[in-house]
Amino acid sequence: MIINHPLLGPRDAAEFVYLGDAALIDRPDWQAAEAAEAFHAYGYLRDNPAGAHQELWYHEQGDRSWLVVTRDTVSHEITQVELARDVARARGRSR
Amino acid sequence: MSQVNRIKGGLIDPATEITFTFNGKAMQGHPGDTLASALLANGQRLVGRSFKYHRPRGIFTAGSEEPNALVELRKGATQEPNTRATVTELFDGLEARSQNHRGSLEFDLMAVTDLLSPFLSAGFYYKTFMWPRAFWEKLYEPAIRASAGLGRLSMEEDPDRYDKGYLHCDLLVIGAGPAGLMAARTAARAGARVILADEDFVMGGRLNAETLEVDGKPGSDWAVGVVAELAAMANVRLMPRSTVYGAYDHGVYGVLERCTDHLATSGGKPRQVLWRVYARHAVLAAGATERPVAFGNNDRPGVMLAGAVRAYANRWGVAPGRRVAVFTNNDDGWRTAADLVAKGIEVPAVIDTRDAPAVCDVPGARHVRGAAVMDTRGRKGLRQITLTDGQMIDADCLAVSGGWNPNLHLTCHQRGRPEWRDDLAAFVPGRELPPGMVVAGAANGAMTLAAALREGCAVAETLGYADKSDLPRAEDEPRDCAPVWHVPQSRARAWLDLQNDVTVKDVKQAHQEGFRAVEHLKRYTTLGMATDQGKTANIPALAIMAECTGRTIPETGTTIFRPPYTPVPIGALAGRARGRAFRPYRLTPSHRWAEAHGATFVEVGNWLRAQWFARDGEQGWRDSVDREVLMTRGSVGICDVTTLGKIDIQGRDAGEFLNRVYCNGFATLAVGKVRYGLMLREDGIAYDDGTTARMGENHYVMTTTTANAVTVFRRLEFARQCLWPDLDVHLISTTDGWAQFAVAGPNARKLLRKVVDTEHDLSNEAFPFMGCGEVTVCGGMPARLFRISFSGELAYEVAVPARFGNAMMGVLMEAGREFDAVPYGTEALGVMRIEKGHAAGNELNGQTTAHNLGMGRMVSRKKDCIGNVLSQRPEMLRDDAVKLVGLRPVDRATGLISGSHFIGQGDAATMENDQGWMSSVAYSPSLEHSIGLGFLKRGDARMGEILRAVSPVHGREMEVEVVSAHFIDPDGERLRG
Amino acid sequence: MAEYTLQAEPPLAGAEMEIAGVRLWAPADLALVSLALPLGGEDAALMAIRAAYGAGLPEIGRSVVADDGTRLVRLSADLAFALFTHATPDAEHVVADRLNGAVYTTDQTDVWVALALSGPNTRRALERICPIDLHRQVFAVDHAARTVMEHLGVLILRTGEDDYLLLSASSSAKSFLHAVEVSLTNVNQT
Repeated sequence: MIINHPLLGPRDAAEFVYLGDAALIDRPDWQAAEAAEAFHAYGYLRDNPAGAHQELWYHEQGDRSWLVVTRDTVSHEITQVELARDVARARGRSR
Repeated sequence: MSQVNRIKGGLIDPATEITFTFNGKAMQGHPGDTLASALLANGQRLVGRSFKYHRPRGIFTAGSEEPNALVELRKGATQEPNTRATVTELFDGLEARSQNHRGSLEFDLMAVTDLLSPFLSAGFYYKTFMWPRAFWEKLYEPAIRASAGLGRLSMEEDPDRYDKGYLHCDLLVIGAGPAGLMAARTAARAGARVILADEDFVMGGRLNAETLEVDGKPGSDWAVGVVAELAAMANVRLMPRSTVYGAYDHGVYGVLERCTDHLATSGGKPRQVLWRVYARHAVLAAGATERPVAFGNNDRPGVMLAGAVRAYANRWGVAPGRRVAVFTNNDDGWRTAADLVAKGIEVPAVIDTRDAPAVCDVPGARHVRGAAVMDTRGRKGLRQITLTDGQMIDADCLAVSGGWNPNLHLTCHQRGRPEWRDDLAAFVPGRELPPGMVVAGAANGAMTLAAALREGCAVAETLGYADKSDLPRAEDEPRDCAPVWHVPQSRARAWLDLQNDVTVKDVKQAHQEGFRAVEHLKRYTTLGMATDQGKTANIPALAIMAECTGRTIPETGTTIFRPPYTPVPIGALAGRARGRAFRPYRLTPSHRWAEAHGATFVEVGNWLRAQWFARDGEQGWRDSVDREVLMTRGSVGICDVTTLGKIDIQGRDAGEFLNRVYCNGFATLAVGKVRYGLMLREDGIAYDDGTTARMGENHYVMTTTTANAVTVFRRLEFARQCLWPDLDVHLISTTDGWAQFAVAGPNARKLLRKVVDTEHDLSNEAFPFMGCGEVTVCGGMPARLFRISFSGELAYEVAVPARFGNAMMGVLMEAGREFDAVPYGTEALGVMRIEKGHAAGNELNGQTTAHNLGMGRMVSRKKDCIGNVLSQRPEMLRDDAVKLVGLRPVDRATGLISGSHFIGQGDAATMENDQGWMSSVAYSPSLEHSIGLGFLKRGDARMGEILRAVSPVHGREMEVEVVSAHFIDPDGERLRG
Repeated sequence: MAEYTLQAEPPLAGAEMEIAGVRLWAPADLALVSLALPLGGEDAALMAIRAAYGAGLPEIGRSVVADDGTRLVRLSADLAFALFTHATPDAEHVVADRLNGAVYTTDQTDVWVALALSGPNTRRALERICPIDLHRQVFAVDHAARTVMEHLGVLILRTGEDDYLLLSASSSAKSFLHAVEVSLTNVNQT
């Protein structure tokens, strides 16, 4: 597979490490009332779609950036690659 | 024997004669020959015995689809079995041997299996050797394996070199026949970066095997011209002898290049290179493969595919027989007849299943209309054929054509399904192709020369590579085909899969027994499961299954094609990753010093670390380790601890960041101080531990365990980029940058005093336990000093730039000479940490929590940190949870066993009574008995209790006493001293 | 005068050979310091770098040679390396002093080892281990990339038409040299 890095261009997937669902960006608030439930869902519950899937890849043998890759789990087609940092900020994560 | 069947012409060099041997017999051939063409030229029709029935077999095809002519090449360590003679380029001195016979090829003792064939039909082994079950492994399977099979391995290490590589192009053209050459030329002229790969050693594809003309000259001459033009272009890479064996995601193709297989020796260069080709686009122009028609005894040497017969005559100047009959269901078979007659070879008859006029004039040949061959005769080779109308015709070669199948295999490597075309009676590539791939020429069902040239050019243009040149002139030769798959009048066995000995009857039997789906048919009969993957067999077998079920062929379907297209040697897949080069290895900075001082090394991940340093007179490793521990605890020892991960952390928010990735607090760590930190996984399980030193206001240095150095860095980057993207934190690894040494023992300070420059105060007051700082050593060399202790002794870790590490080890030892300083390895390190009760990998094993480790109170509830919330789940905080304790044997002379489970006195050793396990054990030279660490239910409240430590694996058990994990200096007086 | 002195022993010191017409050697005294741009302080950091080196940081994946010969390599938005010839183990201080606290600096000199390759067959040899397309249209002079070769992380720089500088972890220097050497040996000189 080839991942088209937003800054570096196409790179072989061998340079990357796969983590999983990009929902892992959405780490719950530790002080929320239902924090235990929320962390349980965050840690254990995943969708397993046959189709478009947003997932985290780490460019370990590259620039060390975490990427959010939108990949079709059936065809392996990759339709979008973003810096996870940008995605995290867009989802409201900050400090 | 001379080259009795050599005739004029062809793309060989008749002026040069080369010698090779077959089964020890010397034969001659010419440059340009394959082993198969040379064998045929020498009149060698019998080349092997079949897999199951040991039937005599000859050369069947002229290409990589060959099912029969598998031979062993070379000898000794370079011996290679199961090589197809049809694609083996002849060289002087080549040694080849036939396979799968006992005794000689001519008188195979195992040929008796053929007489038993009525019992050996499909499923025979499954049904017969069911019981007694124990017999299968001991008796049946070895016997079956010995009697059936292919070539033999040399059983020696392969001395050849292999390599891998990466290539990039705009356009990968797969196949250098007319379509491929046109696609490559068109794209190359348009400036594209083109790779043209072909499995053959001469480019041109079928142009080299035909008498067709392009632009008014022989097709092979035209191909030579195009290849020469391409070879001269800087943007083109020609790859003959290169098989594109797989189409992978996103335009990645696997290519096997056979670099030196055509030479007597590889000359130290890689024999084969496995290329990973990154192609924006690919043109599949892999041509087509002819298929046979099945009829009685159609496997005799001399029965060949018609296209192969004329290829031998036209390309290699070889007559595969003196009297060659032709049996066809299509126009193309007639071309063989015409070409052979033009070469002066007698063609007694053309038998066409169609009741139709002659396709072309074949002087001297009878045209038998609407008939078929139903049987053959001849003991070790064809002598006579019998037709369905009862006629018998003498012939020593029968050229059979059942039509052509497009080579669409690569179009299916990403779920693509082929489509049936009635007019061709063949599958063609489906609409869903691997992204970036287009198909041209015969592979796409464009079966005539003119169409192939046209399509080759057109697909390049559709990909955006336009070339204004005119198309070369060529004809559309007649290609009508009336599907006939087998001759039902045949009473004798009719073979479909020649390599795995599958017959028409086997397919019918599979149908009768309900194995009707193609994937079941395949597995039940082993059809298409041999090394040729059924290239000539699958479609006829499907057609027969379709006949049996009354369905159409497309309804019956086809098995899916997967990589590789043709076999890829294991050696090529391994590439250069053999022996020491299997994976990279990492050396510590003091490696050379350690080598020179008797170290035994151990692999820790990719690292090689000194395990112990043996001295003269020591009887075994324990002697060395015990001495290293005692001398360290008695005076001072030195250990290279460079392998621990080091991460440089800087930024205004670095402290806050550390506070969130460690479960214990880091907000209050002062500059010049070190703190132990425990990292949890988000699920609350303990993950990694280490120390972090605050070197400056915004500057920290974290250490990780050796094993987790890479993954901790990865997790920190995840936290930094994905969880808290607006913290000002920067991470960079410095693991390899600093040579770090533990200097441990009561004399550690005195030793360091001699090495650290005098302006740095090392007194306990100025540089207390858990202090750190930048210092200089040996007269101004920048260094870092940390007062931390894994051994439990007064200890420091001193770090210098790695290039000075080897010298630093020597300096430390030299300075320590007056204290009898010892170097110690990982074993002594392990013993001392167990004596001190420090957890390591055995304790941080992915199952344990801070609560289990006795560090539950470290988990701060006043801040957010990874793992904080889920570590507080009630189940993880149970009162009866296992706790880290120390263990010692009641009988002090006994050695504890790691992995033992704790069982109450008088309880049965069952899972229900399991109270925990022993995680680490060592012989403590300080205490002079075995000690252990373990996890025991409510262990912290059970000091002094006696339990049984049971190890069913060893069949042993012993009584142990629960004690504090801190065997040595429980109050920490030594390390603070 | 201190009682003890330390001699530097860089892992590949003295490595030099010519294979397949390609010269391969380990450049001596190559210092390397990482430059991390503070979040929110990027502009000040870039100005400090320009002031110190007379050259701005290039775009990501490019390098630029400053007036004093320092090669600045931009690895990502907030990370760059400064490569320069400097024998003593104080490279980080030298750079930090020039940048005046506007950039986070870390000494990387001993983290890496370097191999330089020069000669027309270089690209042909690197095809055996480098997954990156080194064609001049894609990877021109002064381009830089981090990638993986034979399981080793490598920073590759094109310093000339037929000249490359490869950097990899110092602890695996021998495996690294072996990988490059074998690649050169395996080239068919045709």
